[in-house]
Amino acid sequence: MSILDDIRKSVYSGEDVRAVELVEAALQEGLDPHDILDNALLKGIQDCGKAYEEGVMWIPELLLASEAMKASINILKPRMVGGITGENAPRAVLATVEGDVHDIGVELVGVMLESAGFNVRFLGGNVPTEDIIEAVKDFKPHILGLSTLLSNTMYVVPKILERLKEEKLRTTVKIMVGGAPIRQEFCEEVGADGYAYDAVEAVPVAKKLV
Amino acid sequence: MSYYMYDNTTEVTPMERMMAALNGEKRDRVPVHIYPRWSSLEYLGVTFRQAWENPDLYVKAQILAQERFQYDCTIDYDMMGPVEEAIGAKLKYPENDVPQIAEPFIKTKDDMKTARWKLDPRKDGNMPKVLYVVRTLKDALIKRGKGKQRVPIMTWGSCPSRTAACLTGFKQWFLILARDPDWALELMELAMDGWLRMVIAAWEEGADCVWVNDPVSAGDCISRKHYETLTQPFQRKFIEAIRYHTGMRILMHPCGNWHDRMDLVYQNQADGYFLGPMDIKMCVDRAVETNAAGLSRVKCISGNVGAATKSTTDGVTPLPYTTTMDKGTPAQIEEECRIVIQTVEEAGFRSILGPNCWETPRTPYVNRDTMVYAARKHGQYK
Repeated sequence: MSILDDIRKSVYSGEDVRAVELVEAALQEGLDPHDILDNALLKGIQDCGKAYEEGVMWIPELLLASEAMKASINILKPRMVGGITGENAPRAVLATVEGDVHDIGVELVGVMLESAGFNVRFLGGNVPTEDIIEAVKDFKPHILGLSTLLSNTMYVVPKILERLKEEKLRTTVKIMVGGAPIRQEFCEEVGADGYAYDAVEAVPVAKKLV
Repeated sequence: MSYYMYDNTTEVTPMERMMAALNGEKRDRVPVHIYPRWSSLEYLGVTFRQAWENPDLYVKAQILAQERFQYDCTIDYDMMGPVEEAIGAKLKYPENDVPQIAEPFIKTKDDMKTARWKLDPRKDGNMPKVLYVVRTLKDALIKRGKGKQRVPIMTWGSCPSRTAACLTGFKQWFLILARDPDWALELMELAMDGWLRMVIAAWEEGADCVWVNDPVSAGDCISRKHYETLTQPFQRKFIEAIRYHTGMRILMHPCGNWHDRMDLVYQNQADGYFLGPMDIKMCVDRAVETNAAGLSRVKCISGNVGAATKSTTDGVTPLPYTTTMDKGTPAQIEEECRIVIQTVEEAGFRSILGPNCWETPRTPYVNRDTMVYAARKHGQYK
C-alpha cells in the first residue's frame, strides 16, 4: 500500500494525528502537495461521503474525518501555490440563516464541497442576512448555500433572496437550500436554484449549478 | 355521532379518551394530540416571546385553542431549555420561537465543574415559570370543565443525550461520542437529574402525562452501535425513573429517521411512541415483535402524519404519507390519517393521531381541523 493510500485511509478513519504524520512523511519523500491533496485527502473524504450515503458512517465519524482532513490541509497549505483549490476553482459561501444556530449540516456540506474542488467560505450558524450579503459582495461566490433546521427560520431564505435582488446580486450567484424542513417544493416556491437533502447530495447539485 | 367540527362529545371527555389510549384501551374514538404550541399561539395572535413573558397568556391560548380545534390534549411550555439554563447555559430568546442555546456551555471537562447539576425546579432559573403554567393551566381547565378536568395536560422532558448535546453544542457532542465515550456517559448521567426533577415537579403541579424526546440519536446522526451502547440506556433510565417517581404514562418521540433501530427504541420502555417521518407499517411491525418477545411495553402509537423529509426511506419506495401539515390539502391529510389509524389499530395498538414532529407554524386551520375530522370519521370504535 502506498503512502497516499495510507493517508486516504487515515482520513477515512478519522485519525488526525496519523494523517498529519503521514502527510509530513509524504512531503519529505518529495511528493507533490497537489498529489497528496487530490489522491489522498480528497479521496478519503469522498469515501466518507459515500459511506454516509450508504448508511455505514454517521455524523461523529464524518466529523472526525473532517478534522483529520483539516489538520492535514494545514500542513499542505503553505506549500501550495495558488491556494488549496487554485484561483479558478468555483467558490461557495455557506451559512445557516439568522435565528438558527444549527450548523453541523452546513459545515459538512462545506467539507464535501471542498473535497469536490470548491473554494468554500463557511460563515457558520445564525448568520445575519446583511453578513451574508456582504460575503457575497466580497467573495463573489458561484454558490450561496443556505441552511435552516427550524421551520420557523426557513422563511428567512426568501428574505435573503429579496435582499440579493435589491443589491443586484441575485443573478451573480446560484442559491442552494437545505435543512430538515426544506424540500424541493420550498426551493421552487422561493425561487432558489437547487436543493439538497444532505451533504453528499449537495455536491452533484452544486457542480450542476456552476 | 357526527364527526363534523364543533360537535364536541359530552359522553367521553378528551381526558378519558387520551388517557385510555395511553393505557392501550379504547373509548369512543381515536384521540388527537397535535402538540399544540403554534395552533394555540396563532389562534390567539401572540408570539412565543409574548407568551413566554406572560404565562397567563400562554394558558389562555392553550384553553381557547383546545376549545376551538377540539384536539384531546394540552401542553405546558414544553421543548424549552429551563433546565439547561439553570445548569448554566446561556439561552437566546427569539421573537417567535423557543429559546435556543446561544453558545456551547461545556467545552471542556473542566467546564463541568462550574455547572449546577443539582437543581430545585421551584427555585432555579425559569423552571418555576414552567411549573406556574402547569398549575395555572390545571386550575383553568378544571374551572372551564365546571369542576371537572376534561382535557389533560402533557408535560415534556429532555432525554439525557439531548440535554448533554444542548450543553456541549451538537458538533462537540458528536465528537465526544466518537472520541471519549466515557465522557459522554458521565455527561448524560449528570444531565439526567435536572430534567427528571423538572418532570416530577410538573407532575406534582398537575401534569397528567409526559413526552420525552431525543433528536440526536437518530439513524442519520449516530450509528446503531453508539445508540445501543451509549444513548439508548440513558433514554431507558430516564423513562423508567419518570415512571417510578410519577406513574405518569410516557410517550417517547424518536425525532427523525430511526428505521434501523426501532427495535432498540421500543426497549426504552415508554408506553407509547410519537413517531417521526417513518414507515408506519415497519414501525408497527417492530413494535409487535418487541412486545411479543417481552422486550417492550408499547401500548399506543402517536404522530407520523405529514412528513417533512425525503419522500422515500430506501431511495426507491415512495412513502404514501409525505404531505406536510402546512402545505398539504385536507384530502391528503385525511388520507394520511386514515392510513396511520388503520395500520396502528389493526396491529392491536391504540392510535393517537398527530403530526410527525412539532406542529408546523402557519399550518392552515382547515388542515388542523382535518386531523380531528379524520379521527372522528376513521377512528370510531364500534
